[in-house]
Amino acid sequence: MNPWPFIRAALARYRFSALAFVLLVAAGVTLSVAIVSQERALRTGSARAADKFDLIVAPPGSRTDALLAGVYLRPGSSQLLAPAFSAALLNDTRASFVSPLAFGDSHRGMPVVGVTAALVDHLSAGDPAGAGERGNLAEGRGFVTRGEAVVGSASRLKVGERFHPAHGVHHKGDTHAGDDALDAHEAQLTVVGRMRPTGSPWDRAVLVPVEFVWETHRLSGGHAPGSTRLGPPFDAAHVPGIPAAVVRTANLAEAYKLRRAFTGLESMAFFPAEALLQLYALLGDVRQLMNLLSIVTQALVLLSIIASVFILFRLLMPQFVTLRALGAPRRYVFAIAWGFTAVLIGLGVLLGMAGGYALSFGISSWLAHLTGVSLQPRLGQSEVLLAVGFLVIGLMLAALPAWRLQRLPLARALKDY
Amino acid sequence: MPSLFAISVGAGFDDAGGGRIAALADVSVTFRPGQLSAIVGPSGSGKSTLLHALAGIVVPQQGRIGFGELDFRTLNERQRDRWRLAHCGMVFQDFRLIDELDALSNTLLPAQFTRLRLPADLRARAHQLLESFELSARAGPVARLSRGEQQRVALARALLLDPPILLADEPTASLDAGNGLRIAAALQTQARQGKIVIAVTHDDKLSVLADQLLSMKSGRLITTDGASP
Repeated sequence: MNPWPFIRAALARYRFSALAFVLLVAAGVTLSVAIVSQERALRTGSARAADKFDLIVAPPGSRTDALLAGVYLRPGSSQLLAPAFSAALLNDTRASFVSPLAFGDSHRGMPVVGVTAALVDHLSAGDPAGAGERGNLAEGRGFVTRGEAVVGSASRLKVGERFHPAHGVHHKGDTHAGDDALDAHEAQLTVVGRMRPTGSPWDRAVLVPVEFVWETHRLSGGHAPGSTRLGPPFDAAHVPGIPAAVVRTANLAEAYKLRRAFTGLESMAFFPAEALLQLYALLGDVRQLMNLLSIVTQALVLLSIIASVFILFRLLMPQFVTLRALGAPRRYVFAIAWGFTAVLIGLGVLLGMAGGYALSFGISSWLAHLTGVSLQPRLGQSEVLLAVGFLVIGLMLAALPAWRLQRLPLARALKDY
Repeated sequence: MPSLFAISVGAGFDDAGGGRIAALADVSVTFRPGQLSAIVGPSGSGKSTLLHALAGIVVPQQGRIGFGELDFRTLNERQRDRWRLAHCGMVFQDFRLIDELDALSNTLLPAQFTRLRLPADLRARAHQLLESFELSARAGPVARLSRGEQQRVALARALLLDPPILLADEPTASLDAGNGLRIAAALQTQARQGKIVIAVTHDDKLSVLADQLLSMKSGRLITTDGASP
């Protein structure tokens, strides 16, 4: 039996209704697929961005705030670690390196962050085979004097370009919300290197010696007055308070030791994963709620389509009656009616899968533009299972109008239609 | 080839008010191969019901309908469907074509009920039938054809599987005189080729060609002309 010619004819006759049904199904599936795919992309993207930060030390308070400031360069709190504690932390020899994170400046909306050269090298490390004269940088070299800067891979600044950093941090991506000319420091920076992509907001940052940030804000410069030294060891007498620090350790055991050592009344130390897990739990709750909403939406979509198909089949009744009168078995009528609905649902699910991926891709691009965190959405098993589940339920429900239609008493129907 | 017959057939329908309408009462008639039979009578006289009973669509409450040795009472609905598909070509007053399909697809429709792929000989027969009725196989959706052309497509569809019986319900009623005459002549030709052709009609152009004229009133066969019941 081949019901396709009739299904094709019915689809052609009610092409606008059919298109509306397909789009309705697609919208439901798009929503579900995008939610699941986006949530996964957020998890993996944010985890990847935090991957290079072994341990973060910050003033006691919210881990999430400290995480957002340290890893995602969105400082909120203005609290600082005490100067004496900061000095001890920055000079701690148990760590592979400790880099302060000094925020407060920006250039064309990009954050200017005071760090040590070790952090620049660490963040830019990606392809060991590529490390050579430039160290781990993609272009140029690391900073060696206070007036030099290394930019992230996505920065519009070119190596060799000079600029005046502006006071204040503006969170509008590439669109600078402040006025660099009015807020600009007198000191000038020269871009000497570009990092490799990190997939994190650091790709848009300008990394400068922490000593430069301290001095331009008229703080102690970390070393004895007149010293041109950069990085550790710092002079404890001349280290100002810092908002946060990144600690790199040789191994996990050492990281746990330092985490314990730096957790107390004056500071908190935590692994980014700890704070991320809290965020993920919240994200998971939101995802569950969104999933529930999308499942309810899908159920409503399916029910409305099945109800509409019942009505549509009444309009097609003369054709169905004719087929039966010509000798078509009941199962042929069932196959047509079921196939018609199945085609609509099947096309909707396929379109929804593509739409879900496209929507997730769009949201990821937008979020990446907004935050700098590189998100790579993909269609995973969950989304496929979700779509297949929707399809299976849809195909089962499609049997309802088909079953009812094939039961019509032919003699009566021939009189009525 | 066997004859199609009805013996003392009675049939009725439930009406909306819960009562029963007698559509056929004690109808006995035989339709022989090579004969064009016309059933005439006023509206509601049971002509179409008799036609549907002969097609195995309406199941009589009394009497029996048979084709040669076959007694319809021994067939369940699925078997009657199969018998109808194999033995009956149906033509309707309003053609009942699938508007969106072309003439060829409409003609081939009965073959799709039981086959996934159509054999080449059936396609060739469909083309041949359409040609014989001066129709183009691929002239776009049949909705664009004239009414006369549409009825000829319906006739081609009815003849696709070369059934021994052709049942036509008011086949000329919605056609102009010229097209009506053409369809009437085509039905007569089919009868001459050995088929049992039965047409319910109000149209004199068709009834005058009939070898057997049956007149019905109130569900009863009141006169037969040209053959014995």
